[in-house]
Amino acid sequence: MGIVSVNKMGTHLLFAMVLLTATRPAHAIPAFARKYGLPCSACHEAWPMLNNFGQTFKDNGYQLGNDRDSPIYQQPAYWPIMFRVSPTWHRESNNRVPVDKVPGNSTSGLVESTVTASGFDVGAIDIVTAGTLSRNISFFVQPFIGSNSAALEQAWVRFDNLVGSRWLNFKMGKFELDEPISQERALPLSNTGGIYYNYFFTPPGDRNFFTGIGNFQLGAEVSGHSDNDYTRYSVAVVSNNNGATGLQASQAYNLYTNFNQAFEVPGLGLQRIGVYSYIGRSPTFFQTSGGQPIPGTGMGDRGFYRVGAYGQWYLGKFDFETFYEHGYDNVFLGNSVPANQPSKLPAGAVGPSWNGGFVEGHYDYNPRLILIGKYELIRMSQQANPSNRGNAGNLDTWTVGYRWYPIMNPRAGLAWVQEYSRIVNAGTAPLSGKDDINNSFLMGFDFDF
Amino acid sequence: MRIKVSLAGSAVFFFLLSSLTSVAQQTRVGNLIGNASRGKALYQRYCIFCHGEYGDGRGESAPYLDPKPRDFTKAAFKCRSTASGSLPLDTDLYDTISRGVHASGMPSWKPLLRQERVDLVAYIKTFSPRFREEKPADPLVIPPEPPTSPESVQRGAELFQSMNCWLCHGKEGRGNGPSASSLTDSKGYPITPFDLSSGAHLKCGESDDGIFRDLMTGLDGTPMPSFADALKPDQTWDIVHYIHTLRTNKGQPMQTPPSPSPPSEPKAE
Amino acid sequence: MQKAKYILCVLCASLVLSLASYVPLGAAGPADAAGSGSLKGTAKFEGSALKPTRIDMSSDPNCAKAHPTPATTEDLVIGANGGLENVVVYVSDGLGDRTFEPPQQPAVIEQKGCQYKPHVLALQTNQKLDVVNDDATTHNIHPMPNNNREWNKTQPHGMPVEETFPREEIAIPVKCNVHPWMRGYIAVFKHPYFAVTDKDGNFDLKDLPPGTYTIKAWQEKLGTQSQKITVGANESKTLEFVFKSGS
Repeated sequence: MGIVSVNKMGTHLLFAMVLLTATRPAHAIPAFARKYGLPCSACHEAWPMLNNFGQTFKDNGYQLGNDRDSPIYQQPAYWPIMFRVSPTWHRESNNRVPVDKVPGNSTSGLVESTVTASGFDVGAIDIVTAGTLSRNISFFVQPFIGSNSAALEQAWVRFDNLVGSRWLNFKMGKFELDEPISQERALPLSNTGGIYYNYFFTPPGDRNFFTGIGNFQLGAEVSGHSDNDYTRYSVAVVSNNNGATGLQASQAYNLYTNFNQAFEVPGLGLQRIGVYSYIGRSPTFFQTSGGQPIPGTGMGDRGFYRVGAYGQWYLGKFDFETFYEHGYDNVFLGNSVPANQPSKLPAGAVGPSWNGGFVEGHYDYNPRLILIGKYELIRMSQQANPSNRGNAGNLDTWTVGYRWYPIMNPRAGLAWVQEYSRIVNAGTAPLSGKDDINNSFLMGFDFDF
Repeated sequence: MRIKVSLAGSAVFFFLLSSLTSVAQQTRVGNLIGNASRGKALYQRYCIFCHGEYGDGRGESAPYLDPKPRDFTKAAFKCRSTASGSLPLDTDLYDTISRGVHASGMPSWKPLLRQERVDLVAYIKTFSPRFREEKPADPLVIPPEPPTSPESVQRGAELFQSMNCWLCHGKEGRGNGPSASSLTDSKGYPITPFDLSSGAHLKCGESDDGIFRDLMTGLDGTPMPSFADALKPDQTWDIVHYIHTLRTNKGQPMQTPPSPSPPSEPKAE
Repeated sequence: MQKAKYILCVLCASLVLSLASYVPLGAAGPADAAGSGSLKGTAKFEGSALKPTRIDMSSDPNCAKAHPTPATTEDLVIGANGGLENVVVYVSDGLGDRTFEPPQQPAVIEQKGCQYKPHVLALQTNQKLDVVNDDATTHNIHPMPNNNREWNKTQPHGMPVEETFPREEIAIPVKCNVHPWMRGYIAVFKHPYFAVTDKDGNFDLKDLPPGTYTIKAWQEKLGTQSQKITVGANESKTLEFVFKSGS
């Protein structure tokens, strides 16, 4: 990392420490907070991460249940919309990138070199409109607007508290699965640190339409929870198109289940443990026309699954999220071979399997300052192609950072973020087959209105 | 050695003396003891935006809320089990935090741990010196409810008339009595009497015991008075039974309430 | 052993002495009842004022019945010679640290014809207040103090209500929520040197001990006026307060 950058980080942290003494409590109201007059910190440990009060609000269909949930109780100027923008300065560095020996000369031969880029940037703009359409009908619409693309990330409607019971809620549309630790509410922001790799991992050489539980899926979900939200369950049936609209894959359906249970430990706080599974089938080839695959005609479905367990632990001012996943893809998926051409499988091919997990710890100094540290790893336990190196696809990544929420006013929230993260991908450098290392340093604002 | 013993004895004496004064202020709900400094951190996370930094109900959201958030510095609370004018019990405050207050900006804070809610009670009590200087009155004892009967309902209807409930709550309990539009709470903000016919949730708890208690303790800070000295328990239960006949769904009467005796003169409205 | 006892005694004595400093000793004790100065005078109004308006009591027939000619508002009642009724005149400063026992007999406020009689009542801290309902209807008695506890009680005809106010406050508004036109005031004093002017605006502060006093006059709409005066033993002085319109 270098001494100079450590010093820089050190002074930034010192600056933050000095400001600690001057912090006033968190006040901010985007979207839901604006509707009820609550501060961000009521629902968020440190936004966007939810605390138990916020999780309960979400599970109730974005309702507090105090007869003030319907939009008609609010002032006429209220509009359930929020947006989030992150203007940052960041630096990305990647070692062992194949580059032309002579820049511009494609015949000069490739060598491995470290490629670094840095500068000011703006993260994707999140615009979300969400809330209640009427009593016990909630909705969420989230378009994605990036630098050169736009799409619909989430769009769903949910019928809440069916037959008057919190145990029965029905959601339909394109939605984020009820993930162990919500990908959308992850605290880190950087290119390298801002994702849970276990949620998006595909082993090397694998071609599976499904690319991880971190993606928004198209389907229907039945979920429920106890009064105080200590017990929660979710069962979702989704099409196997991995959230791609337009009926892209095959006719199979996948099943996601999640169950967790919270319990109090006196003196420490609320703990939560859970188990989840994603079981599905993905097509391995399509009907083609003139060689081009026809969407929706996926065939040769083969199975795969992801299963695991996780926990959220509150120990006074510290909280930890722990996650474990075991993944398995069918041999055809793992070797990118159509199921109707088994002869193309390499000798000794098997379905790949792997184990992975992460630990993310936070120090919640107060609602306006949170320190973050994360470590994640994936280990292949079975390569699809026996001629692959044993550790191909393994990765180790860690992230440290903090979010500080300075002056807040009733309309918006602003976080100052600094973050450093690093990932080591084993044996995937294209030229040498050595470890491929990326690191990101990011600092900037996360602005939420 | 003997000197040390007597000094130690004096030290114990001093300690006992000082602890006597602090026992009176302890916050206890069930077997949980509240800690005001932990409660302060929780208050700043959850409560300060409505109830204000000084607990006076003047948080940043307060101008947009109706009814206004509670002013803790006055130590006058709606939902108590003690007589009108008295401080609430710790459990009264705990119950209000847990239940929330329907038709107001106060949500149910049940997702908070029990200890957290007790800590909040301890901190809230620091906003008014009354909690240090006074003790709450003895809590109300609610006698068992007699079964309802048409006679009880009729007696309740007559009391609803003679106790002047109808002047605010209206003849059908719709909250539209002749005095209703003039009502203000103790801060001067307009306040409407509860619409007993609406089937909406009551603010201090739904059960018959809750209605009984509302009548006995009054809702301090509002025009709703205490009937503790005016009604005997049986009479109060009669009114509770009558109120049940007023509560309807979507404004349609479930059964025709018995009409109270007509006024002696036609009323000019 | 002797030395130990001695130390223990010293410690206990110091404890008692330090505690004594926390116990408010009753300063100079009960006031000199033999004060024989007096202060008489009038509170007057100068200028133009809106006439009292009629009160519509039709929402409660039992109230309307009591007023064949409608009752009028009482917030500014000006007598024949410009005298102001219901002004509270009182000693604000000059009594030092004296404490005064509240009188045994209670102060009484009545609800008569659905109005408070008197409209303004003055009494001492911890003096019993009797609230009487003479009307054939149920009232609720709801004082809204700043410096005392707020309470709110229903009072059917004939039911006694007795309360006290432990802290000085000038003055506590009192209302009846079911009869929204009803308005009264209760002024609570630490001492007995106060009076409420009659319909001619006259007041008489009797039995004043000799001294230099700040005397204040409070009217619910016109605010407070202040004057300084020295009263000697057996001296009788007069004082006039003039409230001007728009003050």
